[in-house]
Amino acid sequence: MAKAPKLDSQPQVVTANDLKSGDVVYLTKVAGWSRRIADASVVANAEAGAALLAIAEAQAKMNIVVAPYLIPVDASSTPPRPIQYREVIRADGPTTEIRKPAA
Amino acid sequence: MYQYDDIDQTLVDERVAQFRDQVARRLSGDISEDEFKPLRLQNGLYLQLHAYMLRIAIPYGTLSSKQLRGLAQIGCKYDRGWGHFTTRQNLQYNWIKLEDTADALADLAKIQMHAIQTSGNCIRNTTTDQFAGAAFDEIEDPRVWCEIIRQWSTFHPEFSFLPRKFKIAVTGSPNDRAAVRVHDIGLRMHKNAAGEIGFEVIVGGGLGRTPFIGKTIRDFLPKQDLLSYLEAILRVYNQFGRRDNIYKARIKILVHEIGIDTMREKVEAEFAATKDGALKLPQAAIDQIAAQFAPPAFEKLGGVAAEYANAFRTDFEFGLWARRNTFKHKQPGYSIVTISLKKEGEAPGDAKAEQMTAVADLAERYSFGEIRVTHEQNLVLPHVKQADLPALYKALKAYDLATPNVGLASDIIACPGLDYCALANARSIPVAQQIALRFKNWERAHDIGELKIKISGCINACGHHHVGHIGILGVDKAGEEFYQLTLGGSADDQAAIGDLIGPSLNAADTVDAIDTLVETYLRLRKSSDERFLDTYRRVGLTPFKEAVYAVA
Repeated sequence: MAKAPKLDSQPQVVTANDLKSGDVVYLTKVAGWSRRIADASVVANAEAGAALLAIAEAQAKMNIVVAPYLIPVDASSTPPRPIQYREVIRADGPTTEIRKPAA
Repeated sequence: MYQYDDIDQTLVDERVAQFRDQVARRLSGDISEDEFKPLRLQNGLYLQLHAYMLRIAIPYGTLSSKQLRGLAQIGCKYDRGWGHFTTRQNLQYNWIKLEDTADALADLAKIQMHAIQTSGNCIRNTTTDQFAGAAFDEIEDPRVWCEIIRQWSTFHPEFSFLPRKFKIAVTGSPNDRAAVRVHDIGLRMHKNAAGEIGFEVIVGGGLGRTPFIGKTIRDFLPKQDLLSYLEAILRVYNQFGRRDNIYKARIKILVHEIGIDTMREKVEAEFAATKDGALKLPQAAIDQIAAQFAPPAFEKLGGVAAEYANAFRTDFEFGLWARRNTFKHKQPGYSIVTISLKKEGEAPGDAKAEQMTAVADLAERYSFGEIRVTHEQNLVLPHVKQADLPALYKALKAYDLATPNVGLASDIIACPGLDYCALANARSIPVAQQIALRFKNWERAHDIGELKIKISGCINACGHHHVGHIGILGVDKAGEEFYQLTLGGSADDQAAIGDLIGPSLNAADTVDAIDTLVETYLRLRKSSDERFLDTYRRVGLTPFKEAVYAVA
């Protein structure tokens, strides 16, 4: 697995996997979980990120999600776009649907 | 084929009930994720990028039609209608829900299958030659020994918490199709000077971040001593293998650090003390298991079947397929058929449920209801009458299963990579797809001939890149996917670890570089009989390296 990036003053969201289904989920503004990154609560820096992660970890203890963590996003795009390609793949699903090769 | 007895079935059924209870306790919050994780892993359930992944053991890669049909049904019921065959001759479902897992395992138990010991630091599924019991060059069916090892190693209390995972492979043929020299233990059946059949025991091979070719610890081991000797090796490893560093915990590191001679002394001492004990195999027990692998009722056939000869002459595409995808059977008039799961543009090793069902049906009609899974991520019908080959080819074609590329550039091994795997650094499948498309032209592909390309998405090397004629390793370079190329690896009886060619390349350049390597080979080869690997061994790295890095 690639090294986690520095999160200091970057927009960030919390992601995890849903305990029952394993699905990729994002922590929302109302402290729920959504399968769409568009619903994620985006915070501006590491300090706010830590607070968001604390909420998520409490929910992991309540057996709703597994292993929550923070990821940096590009908040200028709608929906917010993960910075790391690993997280882009988690958000969008596998990239293995082959495109037709150029003729 | 081996059928479960009451002991096997009870063991598996009880395990399903136990796991059902563990899942219920996890979902209700009685146990935490930290407590649950080792339990789910012991039942083959991983949490990957997008979902849970369930890894099913296919003992020594042998399946019945009933089992393959069952796997297709489970894939439809609990997954997204497909399965992924792996380099460990296993099957993985990539979209399993935790709440469904116990039901999926219960359905598996009904077809005498399970996911036990497909994860964790224990003895994993023993793998073997996919042509076992069928190949013309075989000394003896290695599956008898795989099954004996399976019974001994299942829930073995002493070896349930080894320093690290442990993989055993067996070949019954001098032409190694089971990669025995890159396993923790490799067993090669051969005859000694007295004409007795026994095992060469090879230890300490492996891929991963520190690849090693295994070393021979014993030239000849009598059959009845197999389990005593394996137990002696495992016991020495369990005692002296490193537990302080996960990356140095495999037996290959122990063998490397203490040397094969010291390893041998320790193992032989242990063996001497235990060889005539409870593990000495009585002939009656061996015979009883061997009887379950008795050859099917072959017909006595002579000469070349008219249907076969005729199709070879008149149907060009059939001829292409028959040349590439069939292998010589020990029984006259029969062939071994490899079904490629590498149609250009598809993910290597993936099979849709309808394809699995079709193969199960065709096996029933043409191959005594038997199917094999290869470590190169293809399927095999081991016993097909040559007269039936044209009809089988036509039926396979209707399901996109007749790609004539076995052993060619597009027959690529690829791990799931970053599209699925939580450990990966880079994607494997899309690179494999692009390379396969590049070599789609059959004329060129067949002219190039045997070329084994293997891709891993991280250093753990599930895609066996170290032993690819061309190996590709995905790395993360400052947040971007890059690929390192190695050349000259081989997993057969001349096993070798590939040489690193130079700096890593991005995905697009990697596909171009493979093309360049192949063009360089075509330019340098002495004749069309000289394979890529032979040319590489003759001329070395330099001309290939120069060609790849020449253009700035």
